[in-house]
Amino acid sequence: MSRATKTALVRGDSSMYEAAAAGAVGLSGVVFAVGLLALLDITAIETLVAGVELSVAFGALLLLIGISVVGFGVTSRIEYVETGAQPSAGFVAAAAFTGIWFAVGMILSGVVAPGIGVQIAAGAVFGGIGFGATAFPREDIGSTVPAGALAVLCGVVLTSGIVGPDWEQVLTGYNATLFGDTVVPGIVMFASLVTGWSAAKAYGGFGARGRNVGAYVLIYLVVLSILAVLLGLIAFVTVKGLPGLFNGFSLGGENLFSWPFLTNGAGLLADIGGVFPALMGTVWLVIGAVLFAVPTGVGAAIFLSEYAEQGRFTGLVEVATNGLWSTPSIVFGLFGAAFLIPRFGNEKSLLAGMLTLGFMLLPLVLITSREALLAVPDEYRDASAALGVSKWQTIRSVVLPAAIPGVTTGVILGVGRIAGETAPILLTMGGGVLPAKSAAPNVLGGFQFTTSPPFVSNPALLEATSALPYQLYALITAGLSGNIQNPQEYAWGLALTLLLVVLLFYAIGITTRYYFRQKLHQ
Amino acid sequence: MSQPDTDEMTANRTENQGVATTAGETVEETRPEWTSYDADGDTKLAVDDLDVHYGDDHALKSVTMDIPEKSVTALIGPSGCGKSTYLRCLNRMNDRIRVADIDGTVKLDGEDIYQDGVDLVELRKRVGMVFQNPNPFPKSIRDNVSYGPRKHGDIDTGLLARLTGRAEPEREEQLVKRSLKRAALWDEVSDRLDDNALGLSGGQQQRLCISRCLAVDPEVILMDEPASALDPIATSKIEDLIEDLAEDYTVVVVTHSMQQAARVSDQTAVFLTGGELVEYDDTEKIFENPESQRVEDYISGKFG
Repeated sequence: MSRATKTALVRGDSSMYEAAAAGAVGLSGVVFAVGLLALLDITAIETLVAGVELSVAFGALLLLIGISVVGFGVTSRIEYVETGAQPSAGFVAAAAFTGIWFAVGMILSGVVAPGIGVQIAAGAVFGGIGFGATAFPREDIGSTVPAGALAVLCGVVLTSGIVGPDWEQVLTGYNATLFGDTVVPGIVMFASLVTGWSAAKAYGGFGARGRNVGAYVLIYLVVLSILAVLLGLIAFVTVKGLPGLFNGFSLGGENLFSWPFLTNGAGLLADIGGVFPALMGTVWLVIGAVLFAVPTGVGAAIFLSEYAEQGRFTGLVEVATNGLWSTPSIVFGLFGAAFLIPRFGNEKSLLAGMLTLGFMLLPLVLITSREALLAVPDEYRDASAALGVSKWQTIRSVVLPAAIPGVTTGVILGVGRIAGETAPILLTMGGGVLPAKSAAPNVLGGFQFTTSPPFVSNPALLEATSALPYQLYALITAGLSGNIQNPQEYAWGLALTLLLVVLLFYAIGITTRYYFRQKLHQ
Repeated sequence: MSQPDTDEMTANRTENQGVATTAGETVEETRPEWTSYDADGDTKLAVDDLDVHYGDDHALKSVTMDIPEKSVTALIGPSGCGKSTYLRCLNRMNDRIRVADIDGTVKLDGEDIYQDGVDLVELRKRVGMVFQNPNPFPKSIRDNVSYGPRKHGDIDTGLLARLTGRAEPEREEQLVKRSLKRAALWDEVSDRLDDNALGLSGGQQQRLCISRCLAVDPEVILMDEPASALDPIATSKIEDLIEDLAEDYTVVVVTHSMQQAARVSDQTAVFLTGGELVEYDDTEKIFENPESQRVEDYISGKFG
């Protein structure tokens, strides 16, 4: 007879057991989310919840969840409820709990009797227990008891106030101190992640289905934390930057609206300092770099994927472009400073900055365009050739249109990187830290026709120009304030503007990609 | 093939009219008269002593066969027998495979297409091709059909043409309509010419590919298993279409289905493993009374 566990084909209505497990999963999720908020400083762990501090409340909840998780395991093991538990919780779970309990042992013994030998010994003992408790019993015990015990331990530590808001620990050997407001959310999030997984397994009745639900909950909680970090970062910059960005903003009046932060320079004549020159500098930089890199990159990609014979040469080019893409930006900056600047009047200039960033953008455009072209099915090429259409016409009318969404993705990624690049423009473009409005590059109006070669000139391209990331860097390092009344507010407004500019370029790119995708598959 | 000439072997050979291979089996020898079929009508494509190597692999062994004008010629045989390779030699699509090495002559209306100075673009305009898997471009139905003529400068719909008044929308419209009608697709798509071709069903896509090919107005249409990816109803539509097309075009069709070959073709060529053309004759003759024992085995399902 097969030893594989058999479970009922049709599961009945949710029992008390399932409802309790679902409740524990939900509670773990809530605790995890609140812990995340506390970690991001959105809620303080000193906040009183039902008369106790949040950290103590966390502890109590962890105790509750921990005990119930152990309860789920035991209820299943004594076969009070029917589950599909397998003989063992599995190697990954055993390894994970060994590691977790090893760390617990190290920390606990470090508090009681510090000393590296004692700590390792204690870690080994706890790790061994963790391993034994996970690996030897049946799955329902193995994946709940070590997790529940961890939550109970964390709960005891938090409720007893051993670790609380006032807790701090000087890290010997490091010039740093750990504070309670970081450690408490950390403990809470970790413990609730483990119990969430464990309770989800119980909810799924262990076995294959339980593991499935467990993995699902684990992945969702991790994704939640990644999203929270992203949103937290953007919210942080936005909250800090909004006052600066909307300083003096008004609708109506003489003009339709007035937005001094975006339309003023930072000169002595401006009432409210603004970032107009640097904003224009960044916009022109990106436009220039894209104009340089996209035609050359796409052209090279067409040659490599359509014309060149796939072999050692194309392999070499691939390695070289990948290497170029990983080259640190300061190296590009140095190249620009040493190679481009002497050729453009020996002064830092907008054009040198555009080309340097263009060089940086080129490898990514090349790599992604090549991938996109190779992904175009050969059937299209065959079909077109069989109609008597020449190779170049085929590339232009069939292959390139099918590859445009992929190419656009590459350009979007690349623009996001170069728009925020500081090091290369520091070395190649310069510009004032607090430029007046007159210092803004007037590229469109700057073209002049002359009677002698090169017949067209544009002084705006050859002047040192500021850009948003450079100005931010210069403001912070130089600590200049000029006639800006509130430098802190100004700098955060600047950072928010940079973020918005990058997001705007993203939006343009994504819209383009969407448009071309629609065109391919209506 | 130097085999010890034992009595047993000799007996075997006489019986089967074949030679013994190293494995001890006997393989019937191909006779030149089985393939020297002289069809009625003018020869459109004259293939003489065609050999194809893919690296070390000898994919096609000195094939000689004349394809008559305005008829359907079916190429049948088991997988890997070289029939698709042969088909792709007729419009030089094999040139696109770098390792392919082609010897011999293929004459289109008496002109060798493998001599120096042949314009492949012009050749493929005259010898069109339809592939096994429907491969419409990710464009609108209209653009798919008018693609070839536009690229050949036959019709001009570009921005410049519209600005300079050289665009002829009615001419394009007529060409699209005529080509779609010819491929028996017009009634199904006439109200959605601007929809993406990828939204059509497999059978419709294949007929769109045929009409795309017809829009260029070729003289010969090569079809590489055009119905093998389609359901029976779509297949029968394609078969009707092939028979119909033979009134104006020379059609060469590769197929795995012997019923299909028997239904649509005027003459049939049988390729067997090893890239050999074993027998080429009237379709009726091939299916009712083949000369070769191997062909008879293949057709009756004993082999391949």
